[in-house]
Amino acid sequence: MRIRTLIMAIALLSASALHAEPLAIVVHPSNMAELSGDDLSRLYLGRSRTFPNGDSAIPINLAEGMPARERFDERALSRSSAQLKAYWSKLVFTGKGTPPQEAESHEEVLKLVATNPSIIGYLPASQADDRVRVVMQLD
Amino acid sequence: MRKSLLAVSALSFAFALPVQADLHINGFASITAGTTTGSNDQLYGYSNELDFKNESLFAIQVRSDLGDRLSVTAQVMGRGSNDFDARFEWAFLTYELTDAMRINAGRLRTPFYRFSDFMDVGFAYDWLRVPQGVYGLGLDNIEGVSLYRMAQLGDFESSLQLLWGSFSGGITLAGNSANARIDNIAGITWELERDWFSFRAAYLNGKSTIEAPALSPLFAGLSQAGLGGLVAALDFNDDTSEFIGLGVTLDQGDWVLITEYNRIDVKDSFFAKRENYYLSLGYRLDVVTPFVSYEREDHRSKSELYQPFISVLPEALLQPLMAVVESQAVDTKTWNLGLRYDFHPAAAFKVQYSSQKNDLSGHRHDLIAAGVDIVF
Repeated sequence: MRIRTLIMAIALLSASALHAEPLAIVVHPSNMAELSGDDLSRLYLGRSRTFPNGDSAIPINLAEGMPARERFDERALSRSSAQLKAYWSKLVFTGKGTPPQEAESHEEVLKLVATNPSIIGYLPASQADDRVRVVMQLD
Repeated sequence: MRKSLLAVSALSFAFALPVQADLHINGFASITAGTTTGSNDQLYGYSNELDFKNESLFAIQVRSDLGDRLSVTAQVMGRGSNDFDARFEWAFLTYELTDAMRINAGRLRTPFYRFSDFMDVGFAYDWLRVPQGVYGLGLDNIEGVSLYRMAQLGDFESSLQLLWGSFSGGITLAGNSANARIDNIAGITWELERDWFSFRAAYLNGKSTIEAPALSPLFAGLSQAGLGGLVAALDFNDDTSEFIGLGVTLDQGDWVLITEYNRIDVKDSFFAKRENYYLSLGYRLDVVTPFVSYEREDHRSKSELYQPFISVLPEALLQPLMAVVESQAVDTKTWNLGLRYDFHPAAAFKVQYSSQKNDLSGHRHDLIAAGVDIVF
């Protein structure tokens, strides 16, 4: 009984630790852009298509349902995933915009960002490596 | 929303090539069933028999990016109320002048209302249907050209739309089918949005001409009676038509308050002076959003048109004249109570109870409807 309680406690702790892991917003190492939270949200809501310095920006999302995606939606965009889906359906069906492309894994984000200086992505901070530059961290 | 295209897109990124002819296919659908609760009640196309067709619809939208800032968008929709006959709801080409400015040309959605552009995409809003009292004018699509300009004004996102075009098509006038033409439609809409607040204003005007064969005998009779001036004041002959719309949305995360008002007038015609508004309040409880809304339609018939002639005209002319003018009067108050339930990332279940009091007839019409809205 005691062991089971312990396991459960550990499971709960690690789940919440995972949940609380910060997100790293990453760009190509050659991309020296500085971003505010507002800039980030404008990029991911399709309201801006350039970095603040005027260079073109291509945001990459993680696939729907991935924990880091939900966390990003809430932290960076202050909206639930369902609200964002409704938001994008407004733009898509009026020909005013298309949602960011989605990557199926953290590794795919790293690869895409590493190959194109315009691409911006995000992933759990511990997964960012030297192929990318962390431009911002979201707690 | 476009899973099947992701692989292609990812490939194009991997090779870092510009996308040449990127095809985006999206769709949406609503499956809705409803029935009025009283045997004599009729509302929004429903009667006292369960109907799965009236408000159901399917639509496919295809957008093709041709590169160099040019794209083509077409939306084909089949409405249950029209036997699911597929029609081009809109079809236009878009040229992006800059990242913040674009021109659309072709068949466009008329930007009367806050939700005009996606009034058929039920998934995009909480109600089961957009408030019919305010959205019920018709003329939803026009042919023309529009310029969008997005900008940041201080902390506000500003969207400005200028529009020029025309409408032609069949409408219903005073209970008769008619051919309508609205020429020289010029419009401007402006939307300001900031975090939890958005404000929208729209102004459109045009010149309306309507030919209703069923009304010809009346107009001919009045002309023969020497009342050509009255005919000119009644008919729709290149008559100045104006639409003014205002909207405010407050969305603080949990509470959502939406209100819209519009006023419509066609000068020198028997078209009633219309004023409509609604007020809607919703509360988001995670995946469930209950809402309540109130709608008001006030269409004041131009009785002053026939009043000077009541003692002058023979009954054979006066009766149809009064009937035609008064057919434009509407005075309703509607309460809606409903909820949206996001049971799936791409689908929402909705149920809505509507109770409309017709103050002209004194009758109340109650409707219950439920359905699923999907995007894909």
